[in-house]
Amino acid sequence: MAKYLPKTGIISWLTTVDHKRIGILYALAALFFLVVGGVDAILMRTQLIVPNNTFITGEIFNGLVTMHGTTMIFLVVMPLSAAFFNFLVPLMIGAPDVAFPRLNALSYWVFLFGALLLNTSYLVQQIPAMGWFAYANLTEKQFNPTHSVDFWVLGIQVVGLASLIAAINFFVTILNMRCKGMTLLKMPLFIWATLVTQVLLILALPVITIALVMISFDRNYGTGFFNPGLGGQVIMWQHLFWIFGHPEVYILILPAMGIVSEILATSARKPLFGYSVMVYSTCAIGFLGFAVWAHHMFTTGLGAWAQALFSAATMLIAVPTGVKIFNWISTLWGGKIRFNTASMFAISFVAMFTLGGLSGIMHSSPVIDTQHQDTYFVVAHFHYVLYGGAVMGLFGGIFYWFPKVTGRMLNEMLGKTQFWLYMVGFNLTFFPMHFLGLEGMPRRIFTYAPDMNWNFWNFCATIGAYITAVGGLLFFFNFCISLKWGKKAPADPWDGRTLEWSISSPPPEYNFAHPPEVTQLDAFWYQKYTHDGKRLPLAPERPFDPKSIHLPDQSFWPILLAAGITTIASGFVVSDHGVFISLCGLAITVGSAFGWAYEAP
Amino acid sequence: MQLPPFDELKYKFFDVNWDAPMNTISGLTNWGKDANHVYWITTVLCFLVFFAVAIPLIYTLIRFKDKPGDETPPAQFHGSTTLEIMWTVIPVILLIFIAVPTWRVLFKYAHAEPNALEIEVIGHQWWWEFRYPQNGKVISAGELHVPENTPLHFKLWSNDVIHSFWVPKFGGKVDVMPTAFNKETGAPSAFNTLNISSPALVDPNKKGGEHYQGQCVELCGASHALMRFNAVVHTKAEFEAWTQTVNTPPKVETRLAAEGEEVFARCQACHTIAGTPSEQIPGDKIGPNLSNFGSRKYMAGGIRLNTPENLAIWLRDPASLKPGTLMPNLGLTEKEIAAVSSYLRLSTVKTY
Repeated sequence: MAKYLPKTGIISWLTTVDHKRIGILYALAALFFLVVGGVDAILMRTQLIVPNNTFITGEIFNGLVTMHGTTMIFLVVMPLSAAFFNFLVPLMIGAPDVAFPRLNALSYWVFLFGALLLNTSYLVQQIPAMGWFAYANLTEKQFNPTHSVDFWVLGIQVVGLASLIAAINFFVTILNMRCKGMTLLKMPLFIWATLVTQVLLILALPVITIALVMISFDRNYGTGFFNPGLGGQVIMWQHLFWIFGHPEVYILILPAMGIVSEILATSARKPLFGYSVMVYSTCAIGFLGFAVWAHHMFTTGLGAWAQALFSAATMLIAVPTGVKIFNWISTLWGGKIRFNTASMFAISFVAMFTLGGLSGIMHSSPVIDTQHQDTYFVVAHFHYVLYGGAVMGLFGGIFYWFPKVTGRMLNEMLGKTQFWLYMVGFNLTFFPMHFLGLEGMPRRIFTYAPDMNWNFWNFCATIGAYITAVGGLLFFFNFCISLKWGKKAPADPWDGRTLEWSISSPPPEYNFAHPPEVTQLDAFWYQKYTHDGKRLPLAPERPFDPKSIHLPDQSFWPILLAAGITTIASGFVVSDHGVFISLCGLAITVGSAFGWAYEAP
Repeated sequence: MQLPPFDELKYKFFDVNWDAPMNTISGLTNWGKDANHVYWITTVLCFLVFFAVAIPLIYTLIRFKDKPGDETPPAQFHGSTTLEIMWTVIPVILLIFIAVPTWRVLFKYAHAEPNALEIEVIGHQWWWEFRYPQNGKVISAGELHVPENTPLHFKLWSNDVIHSFWVPKFGGKVDVMPTAFNKETGAPSAFNTLNISSPALVDPNKKGGEHYQGQCVELCGASHALMRFNAVVHTKAEFEAWTQTVNTPPKVETRLAAEGEEVFARCQACHTIAGTPSEQIPGDKIGPNLSNFGSRKYMAGGIRLNTPENLAIWLRDPASLKPGTLMPNLGLTEKEIAAVSSYLRLSTVKTY
């Protein structure tokens, strides 16, 4: 049956199992939620522009705080990274598709439906308002009687499932589907970053899954995991959450580090400096990421020994991270750096991430952290890491690979204007937050008194946010016009080093006409240049028949199964007929799973 | 540990008001001063690292910018073991300079000093309660009173959700965790502790104490931003006098106050004033203790000055000042508000 599904139009997108199309879907969803999360941020900054402002109420503000964090982490940076994984992993390792194409489609639809479920909370005006970290026991029914917490719990549960499915898929793909000759230490660094990210996801997500189940049980079935009155412990949630939450930080930043490594090497036109050390430091960051969770909890009364040990582990992370920064600079050293929007974003990643890293080192000392925990100093720190870092890196990736994905170039002049608006806006918003933090302004407050010396920098921060918003609008304008009228992209617009540049832009559905073979790092570069920099003649095209390549068929079971799973979850966010809705969802899920299992290959 | 005169340097560093009410790096207590030192060591090291990254980066970008028309690729070199060992080892050495002073401070304040003044801090949505178990039944709400230059031993727990206790100029933020209570004694089964000394008075002859701003710093619900309090540092004699007199019942002398006393009968299910019939109502009251309320500088969780006008606004509709507050709108008439306000503001002690 799947053979008769149309190859173009809406149905083809709903049933696609092509990793490139799923990558595009991920990117579009992430960019949509970037707007949603951005509007949250603009509303919050508008509320804080002057002291004692009454633009929005405290309750709505707390909702925006929660949804901004949740959206940006789970619905923007993670899926945008997933978009890059999807589109690039098979192309960079020379594979025709991912290992489990239908599972790949399932992960996208589960993600999208989970994200929509979470955002339904806006429509029914039950916005989760307990922070993206959802500290117990504020999440108990006693303190949050509406379904706001349920929307968050179930939304994250479903979105997390999507990440877990995708993680297993990419893990298997990278380990099993590399082309001939691509040993582990000949993979592009982006693939290494992806691989480590998947390992982190596979190990970290089950923890949050369990913790979310525990909240659901507390709220719906009267257990007391986080209710001290029933013998529970609120601190347990914090341990569970941060055992997931700290690796999550590296889940957000490692893909961007991989992207930046590729862009910098290409822009400097020379290999990544210290490739193997970069691989080891990526692994070290991933490993240490599991040993530092309690540095989010230095004020919870851990005791001196725990504080000392977790601070030592946290400081250690600075070492592999520092190695990376110096290696990136050395990658540029001795190169012939081409300044374009992609490389400018990548270079700004190095600069902004360094600033965020340094304030991170300050927090690794529990003594300093005790003063700055839950102040704007922390807000400044993690926005330098995740926005100046991850988001800037991802934007670099968008400008770098847009030609490969769409066959057209993004407009460079608009791109550079956006870059400078972002740099000015970002730094104007978040650098003053260091000062606000030093002057003691707590996070997550919807209002402040006028005599605290916080007025000036809050005003600056809000203006900075508006400037960034203009940059964001410019990006979407650029995106739309370039898609339609952008300059046609050649196969290899940046003089690239990795395999994806060896095929046409956009790539054909089957990716590679002939399975590539590599003998060294930067395989494609050495197809073009000799080791002493002389241009090689192009290899002659070998004839082939596209029909000879087996491609997986389209399937509508993934989207149905995803709808079933989300319907089960939505039974928990309604007051009436919840059981009935969940059972319907279960029926759809089981039915689709059967259909899936018996579908002809 | 003795350090270079950062204290003078820091005033010139940025346009930051180092005397701002909640400045985090001008701690005045023993803990606060130690934290300031760790902060400045770390900050100076971080600045060094910043320049060690920024200068090479900017130099590289300028020197190795491509020249138009030059298409030949640069030399393809892959790394340098010496350099990489260097930038692995140097950060480790720098980190030791942060770690050691940090750990010294951590262990120095791990235990209470003998003879420390014990203060119980209880977080409520959205106000603070302070009890002084060594001074009989002294209870304060929204105002923490401490004698100057005295070792303190805080025991902190919460009555509902997690709050976080913080007076920036004292230093030593600590979370206030909800806990189970012993059914018979009402004692908390677990609590956090904080061991710091109170600061010395800036002006040793200051009457009525010196005020420091405190605030809850853990998201605790709708009015989290409005959960503030004041820490008041007194001379030792003045603090002693405060503990002696704060539980003196109000002296009702005017007719208005007498009417207010009658209105207050409606409040005593939730509020207590020491030495009045409200004390006889058993159990933990859900509202703040109002003994000598008139002596407090601020009201409603430290968000408004304690004036008759603000008190009237609060009594007309508490949720208008603090959304989500547990205190209902009692529907008092303007006359009743004037009366009860007059009664509440009778005070026998003056702390500011």
